[in-house]
Amino acid sequence: MSDGFSRRKFLKVLGATGGGAVALSGCSGGAAEKLIPYLVPPEDQIPGKATWYASTCRECSAGCGLHVRTREGRAVKVEGNPNSPINQGKLCALGQSSLQGLYNPDRVRAPMERTASGQFQEISWDEAIARVASAITQQGGDRVWFLTGNEAGSFDALINEWLAALGSSGRVSFEPLGYEALRHANNEVFGLDALPSYDLAAARFVISFGTDFLETWMNPVENARGFTEGHSFADGSMGRYVHVEPRLSMTAFLADEWIAPIPGTEGALALAMAQVVLGEGLGTAPRDARRLSETLAPFTPENASSVTGISADKITTLAREFASGPSVALAGGVGAQHGEAHSTAAAVNILNYVAGNVGQTVKFGPDLNASAGSYQGLSDLVSSMNAGAVGVLFVHGSNPSYSAPGSGFAAALQNVNTKVSFSRFLDETAMDCDLILPDHDPLEQWNDYEPRAGAYALQQPVMRPVFDTRQTGDVVLSVAGSVGVARAGLAVATYKEYLQGRWQQLQRRLRDRRPFETFWLESLQAGGVWTDIPPARVSLAASAVNIAGTVWSAPTGGYTLVAYPSSTMLDGRGANRSWLQELPDPVSKVTWSSWVEMSPHTAETLDIAEGDIVRLESDHGSLEAPAFIYPGIRDDVVAVPMGQGHTEFGQYAKGVGANVSVLLDGAPTVFGGQSHYVAVNVSKTGAHERLAKASGQNRQMGRGMAQATTLAALVGEGHGEEEHRGEHAVPVPEHVQDVLDRWQEDQWEDTRHGNYAGEHPRWGLAIDLSKCTGCSACVTACQAENNIPTVGKEQVARGREMSWIRIERYFEDGHDGEPVEIRLLPMMCQHCGNAPCEPVCPVYATYHTPDGLNAQIYNRCIGTRYCSNNCPYKVRYFNFYDYPNSADPHFSWPEPLHWQLNPDVTVREKGVMEKCTFCVQRIRGAQHQARLEGREVQDGEIQTACQQTCPADAIVFGDLNDPNSRVSQRSHDERGYHVLGDLNTYPGVTYLKKVRNTVAS
Amino acid sequence: MGRRAILGACLTAATILAVGVVALNPGNTLGQEATQAGPFVAPADVDTNALRGPRQPIFYRHDIHAGQYEMDCRYCHYTAEVSSEPGLPTISTCMGCHSIIGSGNPEVQKLRDASSEGRSIEWIRVHDLPDHTHFPHMIHVNAEVTCQECHGEVQEMVQVFQFAPLKMGWCLDCHIERGVTTDCTACHY
Repeated sequence: MSDGFSRRKFLKVLGATGGGAVALSGCSGGAAEKLIPYLVPPEDQIPGKATWYASTCRECSAGCGLHVRTREGRAVKVEGNPNSPINQGKLCALGQSSLQGLYNPDRVRAPMERTASGQFQEISWDEAIARVASAITQQGGDRVWFLTGNEAGSFDALINEWLAALGSSGRVSFEPLGYEALRHANNEVFGLDALPSYDLAAARFVISFGTDFLETWMNPVENARGFTEGHSFADGSMGRYVHVEPRLSMTAFLADEWIAPIPGTEGALALAMAQVVLGEGLGTAPRDARRLSETLAPFTPENASSVTGISADKITTLAREFASGPSVALAGGVGAQHGEAHSTAAAVNILNYVAGNVGQTVKFGPDLNASAGSYQGLSDLVSSMNAGAVGVLFVHGSNPSYSAPGSGFAAALQNVNTKVSFSRFLDETAMDCDLILPDHDPLEQWNDYEPRAGAYALQQPVMRPVFDTRQTGDVVLSVAGSVGVARAGLAVATYKEYLQGRWQQLQRRLRDRRPFETFWLESLQAGGVWTDIPPARVSLAASAVNIAGTVWSAPTGGYTLVAYPSSTMLDGRGANRSWLQELPDPVSKVTWSSWVEMSPHTAETLDIAEGDIVRLESDHGSLEAPAFIYPGIRDDVVAVPMGQGHTEFGQYAKGVGANVSVLLDGAPTVFGGQSHYVAVNVSKTGAHERLAKASGQNRQMGRGMAQATTLAALVGEGHGEEEHRGEHAVPVPEHVQDVLDRWQEDQWEDTRHGNYAGEHPRWGLAIDLSKCTGCSACVTACQAENNIPTVGKEQVARGREMSWIRIERYFEDGHDGEPVEIRLLPMMCQHCGNAPCEPVCPVYATYHTPDGLNAQIYNRCIGTRYCSNNCPYKVRYFNFYDYPNSADPHFSWPEPLHWQLNPDVTVREKGVMEKCTFCVQRIRGAQHQARLEGREVQDGEIQTACQQTCPADAIVFGDLNDPNSRVSQRSHDERGYHVLGDLNTYPGVTYLKKVRNTVAS
Repeated sequence: MGRRAILGACLTAATILAVGVVALNPGNTLGQEATQAGPFVAPADVDTNALRGPRQPIFYRHDIHAGQYEMDCRYCHYTAEVSSEPGLPTISTCMGCHSIIGSGNPEVQKLRDASSEGRSIEWIRVHDLPDHTHFPHMIHVNAEVTCQECHGEVQEMVQVFQFAPLKMGWCLDCHIERGVTTDCTACHY
């Protein structure tokens, strides 16, 4: 529809070779469109049809498998690889947004060097490599240091091999989410410096000690799938989940019970539980656990009660519940990483051990490679830099100038002769460097990654590079050649050869006797090779009995600040993506900003209203941010998410919010990490800002939209017929019912003609609220699939956000210290059978299709917005601006972001209403395919984008008219209900009530 | 009706070479009757000023390729049966024949120059639907709608022009006549 970046414009280059040959940005006005054929037909490509490539997501350390959909040589959507045991076809919001990394307008487009004037200037790759080689020659190989993020695979090996060849031992890894506390504790208790895998699906009782395992911890996608499998209600039973943290995080939304101990003391709770389990002989403790009796003796529930503020009875009950069946206790979340976090993790290790969980739900052996290096390592690097021992520093995949402001890294860089960054963005660290040699995006490179022992995931380029970037592995090999150390393994022409060499070794180790080419191609096709490593036998280390059970003491007076990783941007790496900036935070629903969470009581004490700018001051720094008042946080705690407050990085990140890391203590803790708890003073500045929140009310006001029930009510005596769907909460008066019946009869008559005469499916969704974690991956998936623009902070604050699906978050109870419950409701167009939007459209732009869709015909819409006014669900979105038009100040897809646009979906222009279509392009696509193959569409063949990515499998799409379809069966669950069903809208979306396991089972 | 529809069997460059310039008898014409008239002969001299349709960068003649030589439409528009997009012949497809035949023809020389320079040809689009309309070629082709019903007698066009109005009413007339869907979301989404 738009002139600038339309589906048709996109298609017009369907003939263009690979990438780059033809600029897509031309706005041709009324001029004739061009059709440009390929020179040679590319393999595996049919114009107009998608080609899929398997690869691996490198947005965080989890290493999820990807299937990347490309059209005419461009990646347009990423989805999870169902073959990957890590994520089994699902992805998180950050993974979904990886295309905005690939097509980010702020990418470094060519190698650059800093000139004498301090500005960056583009140079050629040959010049860049010559500069690096001469710096190494001049400084000497032993003065070369290399800082990376978390790597596990061939790139890691290459760097080590290269540094060894140079005679350097300067390898440093730094990952802000480094799990140093957990690794330290595993070493202390089990003698293993490793991160085990956790089997959450097998655990019927989960207790998390401040671990955000559904947000950032280890592998949130795998955790969400396992957790919902083990926990959510099915066949009359469910698991139980208790969350222990001063703050109710997104992960705790599904908790059956939230316990908020005095900050820093949760380890005492774990030890007391272990003491009860061991003392009462519960669980299946290994024999050597008895060695702990003496150590644990002082940690009685009574003693722990005085430390933690949790009653002794509660502790005893929790311990008994924990030991009564398969269970797991989780620790080591970065959001709960205080100065004694290693003691907490050690206590939790002991709890798991005495309950017999180690080897069952906690598996050492298939260890996770979720972190490498430590904050201590970065700190040591800073010391070396200050001591003048670092001549050349390479930085790849790490941004310490932003994420560790207290470490002194940025200042220490001045003491390094040559700083070389491989960053894809001009981030804070890159801006302090002398040379920038931009790496390929992960979707453009050959690489591999080992997410956990035995899992070898491959990356392959899914398209030609967008810019003049070069893979760091290739640059390293070129430099090795230039400085004359290209011997042994380094004597290869390209990094791909190096990679294949390592895979040949892997094939030998796996005793695979097929030709290498077969092994390689099959691995590429599958996305990698996955082997099972059985859990190792683990016993207590000698040091285990020495654990002291120290707790972190909260400051007196003042408040404890918790700096927790953002569930969508993590440590800030996702901040320069408009999808993630505009994705409402699952807890606060705030977009494009930072905020300070504080309890209603705290706010009242300090006379602060929501949106008031508050000032936080610690011994290390200060920041200002608006307040968000949250009943899910203790009165003595305030919390700020990490990830915002960039001073560089790009147009979406720079100057947005505040960087909470400036408040933290820069000195490493005893376990080699950084403390994320710090004492702060909170004061009111007097300024105010309207939070750009994508939510209206925090409370349901008795409307019963997000409903919940308890396990007891479902399986106990009390459950009865009145819970079934279809009953109206408000009885319909007889004369109204009469009108409705007649209307229905008329409508039935209408539906016997033309298109409506035949047999049709009725498409519908069933959403299980006992599974929805609130992670919001669906929101970003929808944004990617359906060409939904981002509108910016000001427009969101005006309620003009465009995302077709939102996660509504409501507070229940939580007044005056009573426990608060969170209700979640994914809300999209309900595709009502009796849609209030349809009769008010003067031009029939919205109407009902024979297959039950509430259709919105963009070319017919004249923008009266009557439909939106009449929609009780508020799921219609109006294009107030010309988002696809580069001349409009609200332009949403600066070049080359528009390369991501889905050619199967119309790009909407100003003045047009839009809303969820149930991914009609996927429905029609599947119907076309079935027609060509002479068969019916099968149940499960069509997956909406939200359903496809949902890590918890909360969303099911299909034909409600087919009694055997999954969606039909789920819709007829006794927990099913329709939101605002008493308005007689007959929605096509059925929600299944959330279930809470409020009593010990 | 003779040469209507997707013409004849797929020709390969080799077949053309073997048969030379003799017109082929269309073999399997998707159930169409055999030709009754004599072979079509494309006019040798034409007044290019009088031709309808946009002037293309190369004076490519459908009437010679599809008409006189009865090449199957799908030989060049190779994805029409499987994809919503009909596909454009790649330069290498053209060169399959024209590396050997057509020497001395200045229009063929333009193609050869492009090919040797590794450059593509920027054809002018003749049939352009609005961006909010999705037209799946494969569904129509497999429903035995002939190419000519929408594109006209391309095999007799010296220069291709837009034959049908391509307006929604025109689409709907056919859909109503054939008793197939007239639902808006069949095409608009």
